[in-house]
Amino acid sequence: MTHSLHHQVDVSIDRHRGMRRRDFLRSVSLAGAAAGTLSWPDLMALEAAELRERGMACILLWMQGGPSQFETFSPKPGHDNGGETKAISTSVPGIEIAHNLPKTATAMDEICLIRSMNSREGSHPRATYLMHTGYLPTASIKHPTIGSNVVHQLADRSFDLPSFVRIGNGRNGTGAGLLGVEYDPFVMTDPTRQPDNTELMTDERRYRRRVGLLDKLEQEYANSGGEQEVNNQRKLYEKASKLVLSPKMNAFDIERESTAVREAYGKSSFGAGCLLARRLVETGVTFVEVSLGNWDNHQNVFEDAAALCQQMDQPYAALLKDLRERGMLDNTLVVWAGEFGRTPTINARGGRDHYPRAFNVALAGGGVKGGQVIGSTDAGGTSVEDRPVGVSDLLRTVCHSLKIDADHEHMSSVGRPIKIVDGGEVISEVFA
Amino acid sequence: MADARRLLPVFAIVGTCLLHGVAIAAGPEAAVAAREIDQKLVAETGVAADKLAPRTDDETYLRRVFLDLLGETPTPDDVLAFAFMSEETKRAEIVDQLLDDKAFGENWARYWRDVILYRRSEDRALLVSNSLVESMTKKLNENKPWSDVATDFITATGDVRENGDTAIIMAQAGMPEDVTAEVSRIFLGIQIQCAQCHDHPTDRWKRQQFHELAAFFPRIAVRQDRDSQPPTFLVTVNDSPFQFRRQANVNNRFRGTPEHFMPNLEDPTDAGTQMQPVFFISGDKLAKGTTDADRREALAAWISSPNNPWFATAFVNRVWSELVGEGFYEPIDDLGPDRECSASETVDYLAKSFTETGYDVKWLYRTILATEAYQRESRARRDYEELPFQANCAQRLRADQLFDSLVSALDLGDRMSEQGPARGPYMQRFSPRAVFNAAFGYDPSQPREEVGSSIQQALAIMNAPFINQSINARRSDGLGAILRDNPDDEDALTELYLKTLSRSPSKYEIQTCVSYIGDVRDRNEAFEDILWSLINSTEFLHRK
Repeated sequence: MTHSLHHQVDVSIDRHRGMRRRDFLRSVSLAGAAAGTLSWPDLMALEAAELRERGMACILLWMQGGPSQFETFSPKPGHDNGGETKAISTSVPGIEIAHNLPKTATAMDEICLIRSMNSREGSHPRATYLMHTGYLPTASIKHPTIGSNVVHQLADRSFDLPSFVRIGNGRNGTGAGLLGVEYDPFVMTDPTRQPDNTELMTDERRYRRRVGLLDKLEQEYANSGGEQEVNNQRKLYEKASKLVLSPKMNAFDIERESTAVREAYGKSSFGAGCLLARRLVETGVTFVEVSLGNWDNHQNVFEDAAALCQQMDQPYAALLKDLRERGMLDNTLVVWAGEFGRTPTINARGGRDHYPRAFNVALAGGGVKGGQVIGSTDAGGTSVEDRPVGVSDLLRTVCHSLKIDADHEHMSSVGRPIKIVDGGEVISEVFA
Repeated sequence: MADARRLLPVFAIVGTCLLHGVAIAAGPEAAVAAREIDQKLVAETGVAADKLAPRTDDETYLRRVFLDLLGETPTPDDVLAFAFMSEETKRAEIVDQLLDDKAFGENWARYWRDVILYRRSEDRALLVSNSLVESMTKKLNENKPWSDVATDFITATGDVRENGDTAIIMAQAGMPEDVTAEVSRIFLGIQIQCAQCHDHPTDRWKRQQFHELAAFFPRIAVRQDRDSQPPTFLVTVNDSPFQFRRQANVNNRFRGTPEHFMPNLEDPTDAGTQMQPVFFISGDKLAKGTTDADRREALAAWISSPNNPWFATAFVNRVWSELVGEGFYEPIDDLGPDRECSASETVDYLAKSFTETGYDVKWLYRTILATEAYQRESRARRDYEELPFQANCAQRLRADQLFDSLVSALDLGDRMSEQGPARGPYMQRFSPRAVFNAAFGYDPSQPREEVGSSIQQALAIMNAPFINQSINARRSDGLGAILRDNPDDEDALTELYLKTLSRSPSKYEIQTCVSYIGDVRDRNEAFEDILWSLINSTEFLHRK
């Protein structure tokens, strides 16, 4: 109990729940706290502890640029709009996907495919922001990206490693926003190298000696009115030191995997990212986003999307299989998504343009019932015919899988409550 | 113009009146206004004289005023020169000198870049960054009246890579509602966007007033210009009466529309209500059908009118807060109405005097810096129940300030080119300064107690290879030069403290370091560790 009390005070006045110190003092009487009537934050602390024990995690495979649904999960071989892409059968009778994804086809029994995603946003930055946060960008409120929301709700703050890791070069303007920098993604561009600035520049003995000297020299500043800043800085350095000295840093080293496992994930950088994601989740990281870019195929979509599928197909299937074999899939939701789909008609340059009105998302793990398709489009893929799914529905479903309350409210700096997901409904048939 | 005005006040004022047709009254002198402010503050807050923090010492003051005005730390030579200046007048003199330094405009231009671009809803708005800093630097150094600066932003058109005034519009991708929200937030300190979808729950602003304000901006749009090399964006105006049909189901916007419509919340397919441009503060209005230029010029004039107290108050509150560490209103861009103000008579006096000077920006800095409130020692950020303005308050350095502090502490001048690798228009993001800004920057409008530090920031200073190369004692400059020129350890320590923290070390610090050097038994290694500790210290990362 002492621990949870400490945690809760930390949470409340250290703004970790999006609340400012002053608001806290305005709304909660300290006398009340001393008398033990702190039911509300106490409840929050207990809830957080319970959620952490469930150990849910999420891997988001982010297809930056807007992957063509026709060349991935919704081929239309019998229609002009389908172009040269063929359909192949999968491990689930009756479900066919594009011939570009033969390995994924063998893992179809794990995948719940949504063919009726739709939004109104056809510009990359706005649609990327929408898919990650559930909101449209505004100047006044910086909405947290889904990864930040998830770690804010689920992650253990005493964990050595960052709880939210983003792998890959995909341009993505979203971060923790109003939750504050400690919920920002820990970004690494190259999954085959240790993250930047985590390798010690001196031996460990000298590093510890330096930190000791720093601590002594901080004294003067602390004594002259800077105690609060020095304490914050000390906490941060402790955390950073804990990270660089932690044996768990090995999780970032995919070379430690057997050749067989490395080969299973393939040679692409995206494959290395997927393998790293599995290693990180296994070590206790809560949210990993791995991006694969260049899906913006305004020209030569058949060639270019096929090449991208080749980079993505094997790692994706390997990831699902690997998580299943390690017993991790039930607790790990894997989301495959991009910001929108591409136009049904093929343009003069053999490409497809932006199309938010009907696109695909694939879910697996985390309690999702695989081997099923939700929603459909008309014969030409131009509009959703059955079971339309909006972005809020999708994000609410992600929260449901991870056992997060999507109605949890953050307070924005102008005093406006912001829900994790505004509106929408859980897509109940996703779950068994 | 700035220099002329100081030398020949009468002619300059006449000239300004003729040029701009603005009635300029002189307003009180900075020193006089500062005294008045200190008296009002004490009277208004009721702080007992013995509770006020004492005047800060010269070394702390000098580093503070350098960082505040120039965004840089004073060099050891600056510290020495200041010690020799006349005690009576040195603080006022150094302020005058620094306000004339080119770095003043650049430092604050970067501040405004952050104010505008941290709220961007479109990442490609970073393209406007360089032109914004360039034009803002010029305006601030020329001491252009704040009303002119605001007008330039509100009425801008053209290529964002050439015209920095387009920044606010570009940052919001030309979306009328978002541009409206930002213009109101930045120049009025009013968060009217809260009324975009519903009447504001706690404020008096109505949804209709928000959309009447948005009706000044429907004819603008931001369009990508793919034909230009390198590619860029244009703020365009569409005054044609022809109504372009909105593309069904897609929110893209490439052209302005003749009028603004307030959406029908009950029925999203409905066109909504056509709005007339009305400025909610004064009630001034324009007819539907007015051209874009007339709309935005009228709005700029009404916003910056001496009859609109919000305009001056928003600016003085922001600058005061950055300099003294706490605003009269917080958050600094949320003035109300019906907001708590920690010293309303004082801020009203300051805003009124600033208006009387014709929005003289350097006058405002000179006045605030001359107050005792500014010159007090820093204390921890007060708790809510404590009285305000008893002390100055330490601030975490903004990314540019930290970057320049590192450059000067580690002698990195030549190694840190401002230019990014020349590969395409977005590559400017990879210049050393831009990379550093991306890692350490924060939105300056955010309450400072909410600005946190990330682990990746801590790791960057602790462990970055380039930092570790730069603290090497074998370098010909930097630490290497200090150790070579100062065979005595205490001399070398003093030099190192002056170079990093712009002050001499205390007795305790000398003892601690000397005993550390003794323990390590390798002079170079020990001094590298000391320098590492100094640049990683809380003091280095803050302006006290």
